[in-house]
Amino acid sequence: MAEGQRTRPADASRFGRDNILIWQVALVAGLLAAWEFFGRFSGGDQVSSPSRIINRIVIWLGGELYPHLFTTLGELSCGMAIGCSLGALVGLVLGRMPIVSIILRPIIVGLYSVPLVTLAPLFIMFFGLGLLPKIVLVSIVTFFLLFFNTFTGAQQVDEDYLRTLDLMGASKFEQFRKVVAPATAVWIVGGIKIALPYALVATITGELLATRSGLGFLISRAAERFDMTSLYAVLLILMALGLLLSETALRLEHRFLRWREAAE
Amino acid sequence: MNEMSTARAVAGAAGTPAKIRLLRAEKTFQVRGQDIEALHPTDLDIRPHEFIALVGPSGCGKSTILNMIAGLMRPTAGEVLYDGQAVTGPNRRVGYMTQKDTLLPWRTTRDNIRIALELKSHATPRAEADDRVRQMIELVGLKGFENHTPAELSGGMRKRAAMARTLIYEPETLLMDEPFGALDSQLKLLMLDQLQSLTQHRRMTVVFVTHDLGEAITLSDRIVVLSARPGRIRAIHEVRLERPRDVFKVRFTPAFSEQHERLWDELKDDIIKGTDV
Repeated sequence: MAEGQRTRPADASRFGRDNILIWQVALVAGLLAAWEFFGRFSGGDQVSSPSRIINRIVIWLGGELYPHLFTTLGELSCGMAIGCSLGALVGLVLGRMPIVSIILRPIIVGLYSVPLVTLAPLFIMFFGLGLLPKIVLVSIVTFFLLFFNTFTGAQQVDEDYLRTLDLMGASKFEQFRKVVAPATAVWIVGGIKIALPYALVATITGELLATRSGLGFLISRAAERFDMTSLYAVLLILMALGLLLSETALRLEHRFLRWREAAE
Repeated sequence: MNEMSTARAVAGAAGTPAKIRLLRAEKTFQVRGQDIEALHPTDLDIRPHEFIALVGPSGCGKSTILNMIAGLMRPTAGEVLYDGQAVTGPNRRVGYMTQKDTLLPWRTTRDNIRIALELKSHATPRAEADDRVRQMIELVGLKGFENHTPAELSGGMRKRAAMARTLIYEPETLLMDEPFGALDSQLKLLMLDQLQSLTQHRRMTVVFVTHDLGEAITLSDRIVVLSARPGRIRAIHEVRLERPRDVFKVRFTPAFSEQHERLWDELKDDIIKGTDV
């Protein structure tokens, strides 16, 4: 939405922002009504219906949902925390060590060329059915995303800034802390933004394969029982979660990179 | 060359060894496989506490000289000595205000000016640092812009912030590459005044690159005139104006005009040759 308004302000303003909102609401309401109608009168269980889904979510919100939600969120945040911080750290350091990074480059690119979610079965064999395999999976996925972003950023730090600090008598560590790290922050935050949806995918994928709890587990349990209402309900919850995460990322970006908005 | 030998004689006579010394220092750049001679082998002695201006057309090696003194560039041949020691790496004894301001875009004006005082090598208690930053901000006329980021400042403000950032840690030698190019003339005079009083008061050695002859005469003890590529020293002028100088009035004195005329005579051939100033 916001994106569209920014890229084509002329079109949007000619049509009127209120009109756009009315059309959007009408469209969604229409689709939901059609679904509800179809669900009620076709009688097919695959279709379910919005009212049944909402009903199911309300029941879950009474208690059953929370352990699963917390499992998923716990795996996601632990994995993100480990993967993002390690990825950013290694990216920062290697980005400032050109020779070492040239040596390691083929290994890193090779590793990253493996579709990472396919490692899930491997981790389940290594780490069992608990939280650990999912955390490891999320860590690895986010590690690479953060690593590549941070690495690029650290390589592009303006050498003139470093020279300025060097002449002032800054130690290598001080140059790193006062120039390299903040200059790369844009790339790190950008990396986190990219990593969030991938982390969610990795978590759910891990949970789908083998687990006893989490939103992914709810999906596979619902699928085994042909319980379409539950299935749709989880998907709806995941959609909300995804939106929430990207909104959080936007806020994070805005908070830490205010100077950059001024620069643009 | 005549002036050169007199310059050295003067430094020798005063009994003080040169602060900065270029010994047959030359610089050649490789551009697409071609050698471009930026600076012809050059000798120059700069005395301690001296204010020296380098003037000349673009591409005469003025910035190259500063870069070599700062140790950011090695001479292709010859040597640059600082306090008698060859400069082989970044020279931490100098404060260098480059043409590009290199203010950190994520820091506010206040934090940019403060940065040197955050370093171990200039460790300063917080209260004192706050105080000095405030004074500096006032000195360069950036009051009210403390919390702006560089992107929110005008070109002239950025130059002033960069100057404050360099002056605040009081380096013993100051290298400045066209620091006042972007300022309007009133503001420039104010800045010249501040710079003069600060550098005189702290007895700094200053090497100052400029295109503005008036600026050079107003501030300098000596003016080094360089000729176009390959850069070489054409003449060194002693500025015989008494200190302290009133930067607002000195330009209306006959001595100033005479100095200006002599300099202009020296430079105009090169300028008319078609180099841009």
